[in-house]
Amino acid sequence: MQGLAVITHEDIDRAHDRARVQAARLHRTWLSRLRLLWLLVGPGILVMLGENDGPSMLSYAATGARFGIGFFLPFIILTFAMAIIVQEMTVRLGAATHRGHAELIFERFGPFWGWFSMVDLGIGNFLTLITEFIAIRAGLGFFGVPPWAAVLASLALLYTALMTHRYWTWERITLAIAAFNLVFVPVALLTQPNWHSVGHALTSWTPLPKMNEDTLLIVLADIGATVTPWMLFFQQSATVDKGMTKRDVGFGRLDTVVGAALAAAAAVATVIATTPLFIHHMSTQHFQAAEFAQALQPLIGRFGASLFALGIVEAGMVACVTISISSAYAFGEVAARPHSLNLPVRQGKAFYSVVFLWAALAAAIVLIPGLPLVYVVLIVNVIAVLAMPPALVFLFMLANDRELMGDVVSPLWANALATAVVIFLVGAGVLFGISVVAPGLLAALGK
Amino acid sequence: MDDAVNLSEEELVLSTLEPDQLAEAKKQRLPRRRLRRSELLVLWFLRIYLLFMVAVVIYQAWTGTH
Repeated sequence: MQGLAVITHEDIDRAHDRARVQAARLHRTWLSRLRLLWLLVGPGILVMLGENDGPSMLSYAATGARFGIGFFLPFIILTFAMAIIVQEMTVRLGAATHRGHAELIFERFGPFWGWFSMVDLGIGNFLTLITEFIAIRAGLGFFGVPPWAAVLASLALLYTALMTHRYWTWERITLAIAAFNLVFVPVALLTQPNWHSVGHALTSWTPLPKMNEDTLLIVLADIGATVTPWMLFFQQSATVDKGMTKRDVGFGRLDTVVGAALAAAAAVATVIATTPLFIHHMSTQHFQAAEFAQALQPLIGRFGASLFALGIVEAGMVACVTISISSAYAFGEVAARPHSLNLPVRQGKAFYSVVFLWAALAAAIVLIPGLPLVYVVLIVNVIAVLAMPPALVFLFMLANDRELMGDVVSPLWANALATAVVIFLVGAGVLFGISVVAPGLLAALGK
Repeated sequence: MDDAVNLSEEELVLSTLEPDQLAEAKKQRLPRRRLRRSELLVLWFLRIYLLFMVAVVIYQAWTGTH
């Protein structure tokens, strides 16, 4: 059977990565365990920091500026706990099946349901990609960079990262850029936060915000800032592209938890950073990212405001990369075309074309004058939350498919938690619907 | 096998990757799973929920911008 194997360039690159993992496994020292961790982390951290994207950071900034320190701090941490529950399933699926999420949905449930989930993903990804360029444009706008230059620079960076044609190199470059997401932590420290209020909010979930349409929009935007369909597709495909196996599932889980912890720290820091705007009763209803930075400047100085703006640029940039690649992976899986970051351009024309064209089209839309950018950003996060329950049900069914999963099939506790997440997301969506269609009813519920 | 692949690389690939990790093996399609009535019900419910909620978002966006 081995003599008949057809081996591609993609297989060879992946085999080199796996050989290093196998070599690290030969020793039982602390140092080799650390090396193994270094070799196996990536998809989890990238997906979590990637989801701390432009619209997410803007949602967190709006949360701090409108509600201050209170209910939303522990709530944001809860949303990251939900993200861990959901993303852990994609690690097991990728490691057990060596196939991407779109591929599995199409093959196991047929093209009818497959196309539904692809349309959800395609529309969601495209809208989100537009918002990433909005964030980059707004962040660089703080430094006086014209929109066209901001958009061109971000496209150039995206294409440069892809030109490595090597999953490992691409992953490490993107991780290095993603680490910059933590820049919001020093920004928060510059505001000299009231740590007593932070501790009180984290333990008591108070003060509670008033229940109304605006609050629910922020609640949904904050959930959509943490759990979205593209994350499922990206992490599973990246787990496959990295070559992870069932033996690596433990490290995959750790990777996901570390990613969530880092992203939660950046998210909470952003809320804390913009809380002074709430304390000073500043109207931030129509703020873009750069305006948050400008408003913070008198409070934290030019350096702090610049860090905030750069953080927004980084958030948009990393998400541009991860979301474009998530779309390209899904396209390749469904169209049965080669889909890997280990592919040379010659063999992966379709894969790289999707990344390039998808990003270029989204970037062009951002340059249209008069687009209501802030509104688009919040609405995109809301749509992500609404599209999540159908995506989660497919994930749930696949992770419980014993034929596919074997001994890493979802245990009872994982199913209970995943069901709770679906019910929570549907409930939040229904409440949002009520707030729009019958705001009077919501006010009565809130009393 | 690709032209550029030499024997040592073939050995490396076969010794480090699981058989179904090879790009060629992924061309083999998985068998279709028959959905149960309860699963179909949940999928249709969530599909209708999504369509309805998207209409709500469009309505909210329209009222918000006017």
